[in-house]
Amino acid sequence: MHRRWFLKNLATAGVAAGAGILAKPTLLRAASPKVLRFVPQADLANFDPIWGTQLVVRNASAMVWDTLYGFDEKFRIQKQMLESDDVSADGLVWTFKLRPGLKFHDGEPVRAKDVVASLDRWSQRDNMGVMVRALQKELVARDDRTFRWTLGKPFPKLRFVLGKMNTPVAFIMPERIAKTDPFKKISEYVGSGPFRFVANEWVPGSQAVFERFADYLPRDEAASWMAGGKRVLLDRVEWVTMPDPSTAAAALQNGEIDWWEDPLPDLVPLFRNAAGVTVDIADPMGNVGSFRMNHLQPPFNNVKVRRAVLTAISQSNYMQAVVGDDPKLWKPLPGFFTPDTPWYTEDGGEVLKNGGDLALAKKMLAESGYAGEPVVCLIAQNQSIVKAMGDVTIDLLKRLGMNVEFVATDWATVGSRRASKAPVAEGGWSMFHSWHKGADCIGPYTGARASGDHAWFGWPSDANVEKAFDDWFAATNLAGEQDALRRVNRYGLESVVYAPTGFFRTYAAWRNSVSGIAKGPLPFFWGVNKTA
Amino acid sequence: MSAAPDRFPDSAVGVIAAPEMPDILPEFTPRAGVIGFLRRNPRIAVGGTILLLLLFCAVFAGYLGTVDPAAIAPSRRARPPSSEHWFGTDMIGRDLYSRVVYGTRVSLFVGFAVALVASGIGLAIGLVAGFLKWVDGPVMRVMDGLMSIPPILLAVALMALTRGSVGNVVIAIAIADVPRVCRLVRSSVLSLRELPFIEGAVTAGSSTPRVILRHVLPNTLAPLTVQATYICASAMITEAILSFIGAGSPPDVPSWGNIMAEGRMLWQVKPFIIAFPAVSLSITVLAVNLLGDGLRDLLDPRSATKA
Amino acid sequence: MYGYIARRILSTIPVVLIVGVIVFSLLFVAPGDPAAIIAGDQASPADVERIRRTLGLDQSFLVQFGHWFSRVMMGDLGTSIFNGKPVTELIGLRLGPTLSLMSVTLTFAVLIAVPLGVLAAARQGTWVDTGVMMMAVLGFSLPVFVVGYLVTYVFALQLQAFPVQGYRPLDEGFWPWLHGLILPALSLGGVYIALIARVTRAAMLEVLGQDYIRTARAKGLGLGRVLFLHALKNASVPVVTSIGLGLALLIGGAVVTESVFAIPGVGRLTVDAILQRDYPVIQGVVLVFSFVYVGVNLMLDLVYTLLDPRIAY
Repeated sequence: MHRRWFLKNLATAGVAAGAGILAKPTLLRAASPKVLRFVPQADLANFDPIWGTQLVVRNASAMVWDTLYGFDEKFRIQKQMLESDDVSADGLVWTFKLRPGLKFHDGEPVRAKDVVASLDRWSQRDNMGVMVRALQKELVARDDRTFRWTLGKPFPKLRFVLGKMNTPVAFIMPERIAKTDPFKKISEYVGSGPFRFVANEWVPGSQAVFERFADYLPRDEAASWMAGGKRVLLDRVEWVTMPDPSTAAAALQNGEIDWWEDPLPDLVPLFRNAAGVTVDIADPMGNVGSFRMNHLQPPFNNVKVRRAVLTAISQSNYMQAVVGDDPKLWKPLPGFFTPDTPWYTEDGGEVLKNGGDLALAKKMLAESGYAGEPVVCLIAQNQSIVKAMGDVTIDLLKRLGMNVEFVATDWATVGSRRASKAPVAEGGWSMFHSWHKGADCIGPYTGARASGDHAWFGWPSDANVEKAFDDWFAATNLAGEQDALRRVNRYGLESVVYAPTGFFRTYAAWRNSVSGIAKGPLPFFWGVNKTA
Repeated sequence: MSAAPDRFPDSAVGVIAAPEMPDILPEFTPRAGVIGFLRRNPRIAVGGTILLLLLFCAVFAGYLGTVDPAAIAPSRRARPPSSEHWFGTDMIGRDLYSRVVYGTRVSLFVGFAVALVASGIGLAIGLVAGFLKWVDGPVMRVMDGLMSIPPILLAVALMALTRGSVGNVVIAIAIADVPRVCRLVRSSVLSLRELPFIEGAVTAGSSTPRVILRHVLPNTLAPLTVQATYICASAMITEAILSFIGAGSPPDVPSWGNIMAEGRMLWQVKPFIIAFPAVSLSITVLAVNLLGDGLRDLLDPRSATKA
Repeated sequence: MYGYIARRILSTIPVVLIVGVIVFSLLFVAPGDPAAIIAGDQASPADVERIRRTLGLDQSFLVQFGHWFSRVMMGDLGTSIFNGKPVTELIGLRLGPTLSLMSVTLTFAVLIAVPLGVLAAARQGTWVDTGVMMMAVLGFSLPVFVVGYLVTYVFALQLQAFPVQGYRPLDEGFWPWLHGLILPALSLGGVYIALIARVTRAAMLEVLGQDYIRTARAKGLGLGRVLFLHALKNASVPVVTSIGLGLALLIGGAVVTESVFAIPGVGRLTVDAILQRDYPVIQGVVLVFSFVYVGVNLMLDLVYTLLDPRIAY
């Protein structure tokens, strides 16, 4: 009998295997580095800002990659990596010159050919980039620091397009990385931004780590959002994914994390009472809630039905469901564009201002010829904003007397099913919810386009709206832009491109030991400091 | 396969030890009366009474001072308990008392339905596998395969496949429980098969289905009933966990799991949202488990706790 | 003996194979399109279609299964659709926390549950027995996440004795590692403690009724000695079995516990992957979990033969 021998060896083998798995490579850490622990809005599941367009990817990318232009907090486009730009009198030839001394994280200088390759990849994926590309005659590097973009027709919004924060952002990568097929992910994360991505400490689903890039050369101006001198005062930023918001709340109270990007509004009172925690509006530009209908299939292919639903919408119901009781967090939004910006307009917004007239809506629905066709609502349960809006919509459509079929599912399934143009009986859909960043809703953003097949899911088609957007692209001054967007608003609400459910802001919360957090559409880590 | 795992029935959440199979249902002496029976079996008395009360709530949910559990009112959301809303309101202003009372229906339905479906399918497969040698091997390998996938993961994966509905929740949870029932039934059939009266029946020329129906089935029912109560209890907990993960009943269904899943993020600021359904769930699961324990003691005298 | 071990190991192969087929076919018919999620909220339908093609998601079931299976045979579980990392690496990164959580939970549970079960059996019918059994039933009656919130509130927020979340690897020191795992193990362990305590009690009762125990007592051996040396040793087979079979329970509970305590383990990896439809990760993880489950139960099977020479092999 070998029982004893066998047991002993079994035990030894088990311990050895266990120890091997449990030991993690020792992390390299400086003596007493300034480490900021940050809880982002979502997990950094992939890391290619051109290939994937989630906001969390964009936010992390803004640390690692730099841009030619940057938006500042006054909505002005400022030169960032550029020293100078020049456009010919006919508006066809743009010449750009890079600042001297820019370096990638691998030590190589940033050259014009890197920029050309990066713009080439980006302009295949970005909607506005595609527009520029359609006009492009030539995009070439002239020397190490100069490149030239020659167009067939003037494109006055080129600076805007290169500096916009809307995804995908025109980030500049080394040529070898930018040569990657735009429909495949990059596998190396080298940029010239103020932070270096520590790839070997990236645990998707759990953490992403960034370290200060010592050779970054900030501009001389003060930092302002994506523009100005991005001065890094921290040694290391750790992004920690928290699957459960209540855990994030407790961790912030306990001082285990320093900064939480998007605490649930309902949890904010907790921090107001807690010592050592500051709460403030995260992004003054806020968000625009959206209720999108499928313009291709009954019943919402009928504009009268869409108008009846728009008439029934009470934005205060939606917004209270999304952000809670705090009236400072939301505003009614009779249109598609961000309040408190020069582009805000209420043109044609009376229907939403009057808001929630159920009796009138019922009458309109009766007159529309709605014959009880099923309305298939896709509602993602794992997305709290979308879920809250969905709960309100279900109730609304039922009271309106529509034949609602509620598909409770997850965000992934919504993402897949909404791509179907088929009738609802064949796996199609009638409506879903989403929201847009207010910082994006100051021009022709994806959600507001009405270009039929080329438009966003729901495929609204309205020639007047598209004509007005064309005018925006052609506009050379603010008044021209404003006039164009006023028309977009009026026509867009008339044909209900989508139904805005209101404008809302969210809070951010951080420990008092953290200072220098700027209010903006994304978390900016430059200028942020932490005392021990 | 080894003999060892079969010496001991499997355990899922709440599917607890019934180390040896009882032979037959014990004699029930009518003269002792119901009261006497309950006095001698306090667990069945307590568990059964609670369950009856819950069943009453479920059936008469509409007459217990409730309002429409789906009526939203964002302007009075997340209010603490008051005379108007006994349990407070949830994140979009629905009345929690009404939701919890109506939730009794859903949870009891899920528990009972899972127990029925899992026992039914498990019983059928287990009987066949236990009796027909050539079916036994392949079927039990599939069961082993299914069983080696952790039940909650299997249920989540199944829910991700299907549209969320209470029926699908029942099926997803039940599928994970089938192999356990199946093994229990099979092992009890295997031991019964060797007993003289079954052997006798077979030798006497009874057809196999007949032997199964007449002789084996009744004798497997006792351990199965005990097992079914534990499945019922664990199914209710699993339902809540599925909702927690985001793969449970559709959100417009006021199940306790859904109420908890929606309110859990606010446990620090609005603890009442999660507390009422959690306490209700605990009491229910406790009652079912007590009933199960009582039944086991009754049906399996050897491990009974008689002082 | 070696013949038995070999046969026992071989018998696990079809099980794991069947798991592979089940898992692959389940996920193949799943709705939800990874391409759409990858492309992001603002992507155009044409982009989604192109991404789907580059991922090979437009191919038939057999083609996809064939590719997958031949790669798995070579030890390659594929790469995540979302972050492009190899699945084996993703699982490797997450295995440490999960194994730590499970081993700490297991140790706690056994240390608490076995003495409780023995005690309950020794004091059968008294209030001690009733108390232990009531606790055991209660252990089954609360969802893991509710227990998690309760212990967080009491021990982390009020008493400030433990961290709220997170995982520290073992090489940062034994105490930091254990410190962070105590609350998660406490909430995860409830069900497990209940299970093992009940099984221990039942098995002990059976053993205690046997003659040789009475003989031992009659010979004047102390109660403690009899209980823990003689009786427990003979009651150990069902107890060990319950530990092995309860593993599935532990894995399921770990999914929730890891979410509540933000522990970057395999459970969370799985749920995230399921919700994101990251097929290669789901397949890989479920295969690995099944391997662990089958492997542990295989080991326990072999341990029985050592614990109890009466079992034939």
